[in-house]
Amino acid sequence: MKLKKNVDVNLILDDSDHYLKEELYDLIKQDSSIFEFLQEASFDGLWFWDLDNPENEWMNPKFWTTLGYDPDKMPHKASAWQDIIFKEDLKQVYANFAKHSENPSYPYDQIVRYHHKLGHTVWIRCRGIILRDELGTPRKMLGAHMDITKIKIAEKELHKQINYFEHIISGTDLGTWQWNIQTGEAIFNERWAEIIGYSLSELEPISIETWMKYSHPDDLEKSNKLLQKHFSGEIAVYDCEARMKHKNGEWVWVLDKGKVVSWDHEGKPLWMVGSHQEITKNKKDFERNKLFIEQTPSAIAMFDNDMRYEAASQKWFEVCGINDTEVVGKSHYEILAGISKKWRSNCQKCLKGEHIENYEERIKGKDGNVQWLSWELRPWFYEENKIGGLIIHVSDITNIKKEKELKSLLKVTEDQNKRLKNFAHIVSHNLKSHSGNFEMLLDLYIQENPEIEDDEMIQLFKTASQNLSDTISHLNEVVLINTSLDKNLVSMNLRQVIDEVTRSVSAITLESEVIINNRVDEEVNVLAIPAYLDSIILNFITNGIKYRSEERNSFITLSATKNSNYVILCIEDNGLGIDLVKHQSKLFGMYKTFHPNIKNSRGIGLFITKNQVEAIGGKIETQSVVNQGTMFKIHMKYEKN
Amino acid sequence: MKRIDIAYVIDDDPIFVFGIKKVMKLIDFCDRIMIFKNGQEALHNLKAIISEEKELPDVILLDLNMPVLDGWQFLEEFIKINIPCNRNVIIYVVSSSVDPEDVLRAKSYEGVSDYIVKPISVEKLKEVLNDFENAF
Repeated sequence: MKLKKNVDVNLILDDSDHYLKEELYDLIKQDSSIFEFLQEASFDGLWFWDLDNPENEWMNPKFWTTLGYDPDKMPHKASAWQDIIFKEDLKQVYANFAKHSENPSYPYDQIVRYHHKLGHTVWIRCRGIILRDELGTPRKMLGAHMDITKIKIAEKELHKQINYFEHIISGTDLGTWQWNIQTGEAIFNERWAEIIGYSLSELEPISIETWMKYSHPDDLEKSNKLLQKHFSGEIAVYDCEARMKHKNGEWVWVLDKGKVVSWDHEGKPLWMVGSHQEITKNKKDFERNKLFIEQTPSAIAMFDNDMRYEAASQKWFEVCGINDTEVVGKSHYEILAGISKKWRSNCQKCLKGEHIENYEERIKGKDGNVQWLSWELRPWFYEENKIGGLIIHVSDITNIKKEKELKSLLKVTEDQNKRLKNFAHIVSHNLKSHSGNFEMLLDLYIQENPEIEDDEMIQLFKTASQNLSDTISHLNEVVLINTSLDKNLVSMNLRQVIDEVTRSVSAITLESEVIINNRVDEEVNVLAIPAYLDSIILNFITNGIKYRSEERNSFITLSATKNSNYVILCIEDNGLGIDLVKHQSKLFGMYKTFHPNIKNSRGIGLFITKNQVEAIGGKIETQSVVNQGTMFKIHMKYEKN
Repeated sequence: MKRIDIAYVIDDDPIFVFGIKKVMKLIDFCDRIMIFKNGQEALHNLKAIISEEKELPDVILLDLNMPVLDGWQFLEEFIKINIPCNRNVIIYVVSSSVDPEDVLRAKSYEGVSDYIVKPISVEKLKEVLNDFENAF
């Protein structure tokens, strides 16, 4: 029986003319120990099968030891291995045998499993060739076993791991990337493309340019800086949040992470692998939180355990007087170098879990201004009761404090006003009735004793009594001026009122030869209490007449202008004038007179007028030059649409 | 022309009462004067007079500021009294208050004829007398 040379070219290396090969082939033919060595050393089993008597099969000792059996105890029967091969693999063996037997070019080459004697599985690569006679009829079959159990286990393990990572990647929705830093070649997974709304095929040809094309220019710059840091070894892992342009035109945020995994022979980074995680929602939430904190209308800041800023509101910077608002990550003590020891210790206490607050603290600034602050320190927690840092909330309550002070002042004023009214009541009723009695009794006494009327003493008595009554009645007039509320005011035509007043004093104006010019426009209306407005205008006109200059033709001119808040009635005369330098402060005081030669100058008119003007919500300004004239500007409210 | 028979003066101020009595005598204001120290006394008297069907006053000079029952309270009570329809009682409020509110409030009562600010003078009382005589 001869081996057919053309049986299986695959099994014979095609370098046929090498002399060593020929020599080895000859040696094998001559010296059986060479073959012994080969079958023992190069295979994990060798078999030779008699196809004419298929129960007979020779197996070498290695065949059995590989499978855990003692070769001496195993018969050279095909049934011996057929008993320990996996049943399902045996079917495959028969099928392959049939194909190979029919067609010699079909390789008999398969992986089968055996039950090891100790119970575990042995993976065997089993190859064989059928030896045929001259007619091509299968006669014998030669086969070899290779134990590939270790490879199989490793393969299985690897497969498991691949599965595991694939699950993780698909489960976490991670886009993955591999990048050849030197060539720019890049490999992305489908998810990488999906994050920005594409499929991988849509993005082709893929290279690192693809990343550059879709990422935000600002973030790309940031990413490049971080990559350089990673390449230089400054940071162990590259980690960057970046925006990428989605197919729908919006920016999506990805968390881009990666690491160099191989270097070239010069030590330059070669391959880098990494992942993309979509964080748009987180980022938006974060941005919103950041916005919330930044725009919170009160001064609030959040710190970590080392008093580094996590966040702070705009108001916080205002209240603390911080100019540089890029504070996140920086220490509070650094930002506010002048912070007091008390505050530091408060912060430390708070970081240990204490809640510290002060609703009113007076702080005197460097500029001497007093500031009132209300503040609160609270630790913030993560997980269960673990302090992550502290939150400080400060409000500037200076204005509220001022308001409170004002309110208490107002209260004092109100009380005083009440007492004043009480006093006024006493004046009005009691004093007046006493003086009235005095007057009445004196009157009666004179009636009953007409002869004493010329007595000097009685005359003085009468004057004194009269003066007392007058004073009391003036006081009464003042007391009766109530600061009225707006609702008591009525809109009145200024020009008409002036005309009426002028008519009522026409007798005196004629006598004193004073010309009154009413130059107020017809449509000017003011808000006033009618009796007060009459009285105010009457007073100014009679004053103008009373204090006219005899040296010239006298006039009184009334005109009006309007600004956004007031109608300004301007009453100008060319009379005696008042020395305002001397008298400004007491011009409107009670019983203040400035012209000793003028009779009937009682010093009550301007006082009452001023009170009446103020009672209707107005004010008076005065300009005057001695012996040239006086101008009063009376500001009065008017009805706005 | 009718003469004032009875005049009531309701006032707690003895000096005013002294004076008014003198002035009334001086101008022969009325036949009889009756003085009450407060509204309560006057009201008590009036009720008694009505129930006994005695003669009512023609004129009442009423002060506002008084103890027990002041002028305002008296006016409120006076409205409720059933004055016989053939009788007319004229009330003058006589007060030292010049508060316009007081004046307006006093005049808002139907029975109040006028508001006289103290001190009351001979001339003023003469006017009152003239008004009364001319009214009838």
